Amino acid sequence: MTERTILLNELESDALTELVNIGVSRAASGLRQMVGRQVVLSVPSVEVVSRAAAAALIRERETGPLVAVRQDFHGALEGQALLIFPEQNSIELLRSVAGDLEAHELADMEDEALLETGNIVLNSCLATMANMLERPLEMSLPQVIRGEGARLFVLSSDPADAGVVLFLYINFAVSDRDIRGYIAMLMDLPSLDMLKILIGEFIQRVLGEDDG
Amino acid sequence: MAEAAARPAPQAQRDPRPALAQAAGAWVWDVPADRLYADARFAALCGLDPEAARTGLPTQAFVAAVAPDDRLRVRIAVAGILRGSETFAKEYRVRSADGTVRWVSARGGVERADDGELLRFTGVLADITEQKRVQEQLRVAQTAGGVGTFEHVDGFGTADVSEQFCRLLGLQTTDALPVRTINTLVLDGDPLIIRGSREEAQADHGAYSELRIRRADNGDERWLARRGEFRPDGVGGGGRFIGVIYDITPAKSAEEELRQLARTLEDRVAERTRERDRVWKNARDLFVVLSPRRHYLSVNPAWSRLLGYTADELVGRRYGTLAHPDDMQKVEAMMQRLGRGEQVEDVDLRVRAKDGDHRWINWTFTPEAEDGFIYGVGRDVTDRKQLEDQLRQSQKMEAVGQLTGGLAHDFNNMLTGVMGGLDMARRRISQGRAEEAAAFMDTAGAAAERAASLTHRLLAFSRRQSLDSRPVDVNTLVGSMEDLLHRTLGEQVSLGLALGPDLWRTRTDSNQLENAILNLAINARDAMPEGGQLTVDTVNVRLDWPAVAGGEEIPPGDYVVIGVSDTGAGMPPEVLAKVFDPFFTTKPIGQGTGLGLSMVYGFVRQCGGQVGIYSDSGIGTTVKLYLPRFEGEAEADEHTPRAISTPRGAGERVLLVEDDPQVRVLVRTVLEELGYRAAEAVDGQAALPILESEAPLNLLITDVGLPGMNGRQLAEVARARRPDLPVLFMTGYAASAAERSSFLEAGMRMISKPFPLETLATTLRDMLRSGSAG
Repeated sequence: MTERTILLNELESDALTELVNIGVSRAASGLRQMVGRQVVLSVPSVEVVSRAAAAALIRERETGPLVAVRQDFHGALEGQALLIFPEQNSIELLRSVAGDLEAHELADMEDEALLETGNIVLNSCLATMANMLERPLEMSLPQVIRGEGARLFVLSSDPADAGVVLFLYINFAVSDRDIRGYIAMLMDLPSLDMLKILIGEFIQRVLGEDDG
Repeated sequence: MAEAAARPAPQAQRDPRPALAQAAGAWVWDVPADRLYADARFAALCGLDPEAARTGLPTQAFVAAVAPDDRLRVRIAVAGILRGSETFAKEYRVRSADGTVRWVSARGGVERADDGELLRFTGVLADITEQKRVQEQLRVAQTAGGVGTFEHVDGFGTADVSEQFCRLLGLQTTDALPVRTINTLVLDGDPLIIRGSREEAQADHGAYSELRIRRADNGDERWLARRGEFRPDGVGGGGRFIGVIYDITPAKSAEEELRQLARTLEDRVAERTRERDRVWKNARDLFVVLSPRRHYLSVNPAWSRLLGYTADELVGRRYGTLAHPDDMQKVEAMMQRLGRGEQVEDVDLRVRAKDGDHRWINWTFTPEAEDGFIYGVGRDVTDRKQLEDQLRQSQKMEAVGQLTGGLAHDFNNMLTGVMGGLDMARRRISQGRAEEAAAFMDTAGAAAERAASLTHRLLAFSRRQSLDSRPVDVNTLVGSMEDLLHRTLGEQVSLGLALGPDLWRTRTDSNQLENAILNLAINARDAMPEGGQLTVDTVNVRLDWPAVAGGEEIPPGDYVVIGVSDTGAGMPPEVLAKVFDPFFTTKPIGQGTGLGLSMVYGFVRQCGGQVGIYSDSGIGTTVKLYLPRFEGEAEADEHTPRAISTPRGAGERVLLVEDDPQVRVLVRTVLEELGYRAAEAVDGQAALPILESEAPLNLLITDVGLPGMNGRQLAEVARARRPDLPVLFMTGYAASAAERSSFLEAGMRMISKPFPLETLATTLRDMLRSGSAG
């Protein structure tokens, strides 16, 4: 517990949650346009945890194989953003996005649909954060990766890497389909320090605005 | 409630649904106009002027109402909404109109124009002070009580959970968990914590289940109880399942221990059963379970080992079919007792083995009151029986030795009298003092008579006396003895007769019965030297099952019982045990031969009866004679009138057949002296020529026990030739002549050796007279 909360105070955590909320709201709006159906995305929790804890969280929550869409980001903050689904859910998501298709068509389209979904969600979140934090972030092309949770959280090949994971748990409600997913942002400690500073600035701005 | 009291009265009048108004206050934030509109409830909660709130306020009022500690958070959340966030969900404290600080929950959303421009931020504000307090209480209760809560909305992949819920499962604390994550921890086969489908959840309504989980953190296995209820008021019309879980591992452990204990108990019972089974299988004794209708239900393997029968050959058969025919009565009596619920112990029966041999089995049977089944154990006592037979044989030999010794002693005494008397008589005659010889002859005669009487009693004891059995009315017989008994008992002993009414008849030799009663009376008299009471009673007795008397069993049946009781000294048990032994006497030497009771015993046994003796020291003795009931036709009692003087013959011709030369010479002498003409033969062969000749013959006297052809056979031959020839048998003892009536035909008589001359004379006269008459 202490390990998870030590990096951001309560207000900073609230502010970060709001930032993500804004991002996810935009993502939902994007998905809505893509799917043509009601899409609700909610963010129940935002946690900053170590990689090991993130892996444990994923392991506790997911027993089956996972599929993730990854995008690297550069700029004031350096790291990777991941949209993670249980593999089972990715098919559901695919159906939501692409409609009911034949099995072989689904297989062909799966990665493409995942990439598109990931792009919308991750881009919305990262772009919103960049906007709010008033720092530009450069994003690489998304890619699909599959495997165990622990593997997904490897930032570099350096075993001594003490990076943290900004871990968001989101509920996707796409019409009647039951889909859940995670957004993880893997950052190293310098980037997290920077995030903390930027969030502080954001808070000041927000409060200053209202004061003004 | 506090809010109710604080609420302005006019508002209540405006709103006809006070409860709803009370529940939530609504706001509308007009973003382009930067104005905040709110209803009276919102105004009351946030301490705003309701009228102003209705007509519009600066938007700062939204945040200004928030308690300082929460203000920054709310400002950030509002900023989020203004910058693109779609949902607003915060809980915070406000200072309300009545001055109290209250917890509220704000839920809001945004309305946008088509171009995406933010138009309005609207929402509702609910007072959750009470809820917060309850939540806090609940949290404390959950932590303290170890109860974890969860809420699952139908169709959702995740469930809201409490911290305690996570702790119970060993998961990282969080407020939402995937259903699958939760259910994965449940061990295979146990009920899931969160049911998959709506139908299952609904069917689960209010259900209680117990399940095992493997904790996520340390892998421990724990028992949880889950309880919950389904509510049809979830998001989007679905239902939600609200439930709790709590750890019941200690209770389950205790339960398991109990179960283990019960199992141990069962094991012990099973072990006992195995032990019993082993006893059943390995026992050398025969075990058997019989149905209430005495069919074999179950037998142990000893049956096969001892008797050669397998269980299949016995089960279903009726008990008793294997018994020796002679033991059938015993079996029946035993079964009758078992039928009455009595236990039967120590009954020896001969059981036929498969190879045809019989084994002696000592049985014990117990009827079970509950089911009526009969449980039996049989022990092979064949060896014991053989030993007993050997013992009996050696005892018999010992008795014979004792008898012979006693006899020799008595006989020597008597012979001394006879020989001494004769010797003295011869001397007196040779001295010419013939007149003095008669006294010595009398002495010798008396001694000889005593000897005759002794042998007679011996025969009675040996049950080989010749009985003249006829149906006898015992009451008449006892009644006729009254005089005799009075004289025998003397004045000191009073006699009482208690004769049972409607007494059955028995078949016996009335003379011998008289003797027996007299004998008992004399014994009784001698037991009462100081005087007392002697009672002779008669009674009918019906034995339905064997009784025991005198150490031997009396078979079931009807009996005429004659009891002779005294009020004398009685006998101690060790004496009682020997009273039937020959030559056993309590009397001083010379006062009795010791053959009295044994003679009675022999006689009664010969009649098919039994003797019972009951005695208590200081109280008296009772001897009971059990004589079998006779149910045949009555026969007229024959009484031979006694001759007054020695009758003489008139030259009738008599053929005498006797192998003993002395007896032959003596009898012939007597016959001639009585006036008969006698011819003699040493055996049947020698007698035949005379019988088959034309020589006149009036009577045949023959010994029964002849070498070669016996007396009875000779009589047959004689009768074939001379059909009406009277025949007189003389017998010392004759096994075949023990029952006179079946031995003798009309015109035949029997006389026991030794006999007084007068008896012979009288008998001859009677026979010749009736023979000539017939």
